[in-house]
Amino acid sequence: MIIPRTIRKMKERMDHKNGPYAHLFAPYEGDEVVSLDCETTSLNVKEGEILSIGAVKIKGRKVMTSDRLDIKLKPPKSLTGDSIKIHKIRAADLVDGVYMDEALEKVLEFIGNRPILGYYVNYDVRMLEKYLRPRYGFGLPGKAIELSHVYHDIIKWRHVGGDVDLRFDTISKCLDIPMLERHTALGDAITVALMYVRLNYGDPPKAG
Amino acid sequence: MPSSFKMENMPFSLLSEREQRYLRSSLDIGYYQAGEIIIAAGSVPEGVYVILKGRVGESDVTEEGEEKQEQVFVHYTNEDYFGGWSAIRGKAIHNFIAEEETICHVLPTKALLELCAGNSRFADYFQQSLSAKTEIQAQEGGDQDMAEFMLAQVKDGLIREPLIVVEGTSISEATVLMREKHADCVLVKRGNRYGMVTGTDLLDAVVIKRLELTSDVAEIASYRIISTTSDDYLFNALITMTQQHIERVVVMDDNQLTGIIELTDVLSYFSSHSHVIGLRIERAKTIEDLHEAAHGLNDLIKGLVTHGVKARFAMDLIAAMNGRVIAKLFDLIVPVDMQPHVCLIVMGSEGRGEQIMKTDQDNALIYRDGLQWPGMQDTMQLFTETLISFGFPECPGNIMVSNPAWVKSIGQWTQQLSDWSYRCEGEAQMNLAIAVDAHPVAGNAALFKTSRNWFMRHLQNNDVFFSHFAKASLEFDTPLTFFGNLKDKGELDVKKAGIFPIVHGIRAMALQFKILETNTFKRIEALVEIGQMKEEHGRELAEALALFIQTRLRQQVKRIDDASDGVDQTPNILELSALDKMERDLLRDGMHIVKGFKKSLTLRYHLGG
Repeated sequence: MIIPRTIRKMKERMDHKNGPYAHLFAPYEGDEVVSLDCETTSLNVKEGEILSIGAVKIKGRKVMTSDRLDIKLKPPKSLTGDSIKIHKIRAADLVDGVYMDEALEKVLEFIGNRPILGYYVNYDVRMLEKYLRPRYGFGLPGKAIELSHVYHDIIKWRHVGGDVDLRFDTISKCLDIPMLERHTALGDAITVALMYVRLNYGDPPKAG
Repeated sequence: MPSSFKMENMPFSLLSEREQRYLRSSLDIGYYQAGEIIIAAGSVPEGVYVILKGRVGESDVTEEGEEKQEQVFVHYTNEDYFGGWSAIRGKAIHNFIAEEETICHVLPTKALLELCAGNSRFADYFQQSLSAKTEIQAQEGGDQDMAEFMLAQVKDGLIREPLIVVEGTSISEATVLMREKHADCVLVKRGNRYGMVTGTDLLDAVVIKRLELTSDVAEIASYRIISTTSDDYLFNALITMTQQHIERVVVMDDNQLTGIIELTDVLSYFSSHSHVIGLRIERAKTIEDLHEAAHGLNDLIKGLVTHGVKARFAMDLIAAMNGRVIAKLFDLIVPVDMQPHVCLIVMGSEGRGEQIMKTDQDNALIYRDGLQWPGMQDTMQLFTETLISFGFPECPGNIMVSNPAWVKSIGQWTQQLSDWSYRCEGEAQMNLAIAVDAHPVAGNAALFKTSRNWFMRHLQNNDVFFSHFAKASLEFDTPLTFFGNLKDKGELDVKKAGIFPIVHGIRAMALQFKILETNTFKRIEALVEIGQMKEEHGRELAEALALFIQTRLRQQVKRIDDASDGVDQTPNILELSALDKMERDLLRDGMHIVKGFKKSLTLRYHLGG
């Protein structure tokens, strides 16, 4: 990216200081975190298009699955071939999906200025911002928390040297968290949320 | 939460689809570290917790001086729920503590109450005691026996041999013949046709029509005979009988008479041939006849279990049947002139009427003081051996009439009882426990009653005795800790953990209050009636005991089916892995009740310390 993210964010904050979205840029005071996950057609941000968005709030040590976001979008043109094998979402599954404008509105309202948690969260954030910027003129305002970094910091601290396996399945196994519906946006978001709670409140895990 | 929450488990399976959707949308997930208090006693719980992964203990906190003692009495593991009762009451009375890392679904109280308001069965399940839970489960599984009944065929063992007479037989001859053969109808052959004469027909002919006793039965027979075939469904036969207002249908195969089926037999098919076997026992004229009838009992038991008959009723029935087999054998073996002078008693579980599978024979003989009968011991030896050949296993403790130690005169018997009651060591106490459950089955019951009444008077106000006697019920300690280890051990000795403490504790109380009943359920009822036990406690105790017996029975039947020699080597072991979630739930609640009962025994008989 040409302009560093922090500078860009500062600029956005200045630009929207008096706009209708000013509240999104206020510093966050609460103790909630939003775990977010998107299913997309490609792992390349430029090519990929979003199929579904799942998000769930974490409050303290509780995953508020009753307060969640589960959005399906209209099937995009790039929904073909290989990615279907991974997420198993077909065009037929998305017939009653919503349009991107509506989805983004909901996402912004749900997240607010809370920190965003995810596994390789930058990918999901950039994916969403690809659609957000042209419409709103700003990206996701909240701070991003990367699950694998949280995990890595704890594991690394306990084992000096050596590589840490950061694959999703490995982390899940190491933390002994059951994987709930792998490869649905909401399922992954909840699993990530549980891992986060586990890392923050449980005993440090043994190295995998 | 989408699919990680299992709706198939009770009580959530009681909810409608719409209610289940609502439930899913209201669930949260909580994470707790080992040792963390999820619900503290006295606090307001957030709702019902359903464990996704982990283990939680429910414990009582008793403060003794400075030290806090925690006694865990229930463990919850994957898919168990807890806190439902506390949530509805609005306040927890126990501590719920995570014993390992635990992830729970949390159904908030508000949602729980809404679901309860909309679904009364779901509400019942949460709010009510064990007996209601069992009831709800019983209703859920209730359809199966009906299906089996519908598919039964006429030839499934219900056809009776008809009593046939030729034309020209007189009314009085026919009546005598019917009496002899224990039949209540007779078929008259006239040419190629058969006519039926029932007891009522005979009565009508003689009393109302005033026919001579020598008249031909062929004249009063009804030749409009309704018939069926032996491969027709029994259900159709029942419909025919109901439509035609008749009680008998003739079975004809290829125009040949095969037999008769009767309404009473069809109806008693529900209790799985019990009626038929009962008749066979009554009709037995030789030991061989009886032998055959006794072997039919095993099928009866299996039938009752698969038909889902409640263990308690099944026990009553089997006890009656076994009693009849033993009494009949007594009639066949013991000379008639000796019968009024002796009394055969059965003891232990048989005396309480609580065995279902044939358990060891525990029996004894009491005879009149000064009776001269030289062949007594030989006859008793034969009696025991015959019972063994009937499939009643030998008693490992040799408590059988073949052992002279258990053949006593009234004087010796009462002396023996009182000796045992003064000795506190294990064997005497065990013998006494077996003997106080005695129940007369054949011979002169007055002999038995004399000795029993004397013994009960003798024990009156002997508090030290009762205290010693009741102590045995606490012998197998803390079954709940045992149960808590369920994941590791995988099995549970239900007799030690649940059945024995209840049976023995109730036995001690019954003895103290001179209750003559020997059956534990009836003893409980009697104790409630005289006000020594609260009605609610009595009901729960009975329900728990029935549950233990039923669960044990189901596994016993399965093991006997699997074993090549048809013998169950470990009759009291419950394999916990073979139980589903609901059954484990019930078992745990039952253990809870046992625990409470033991506590009350400790207080009553000062067994603490």
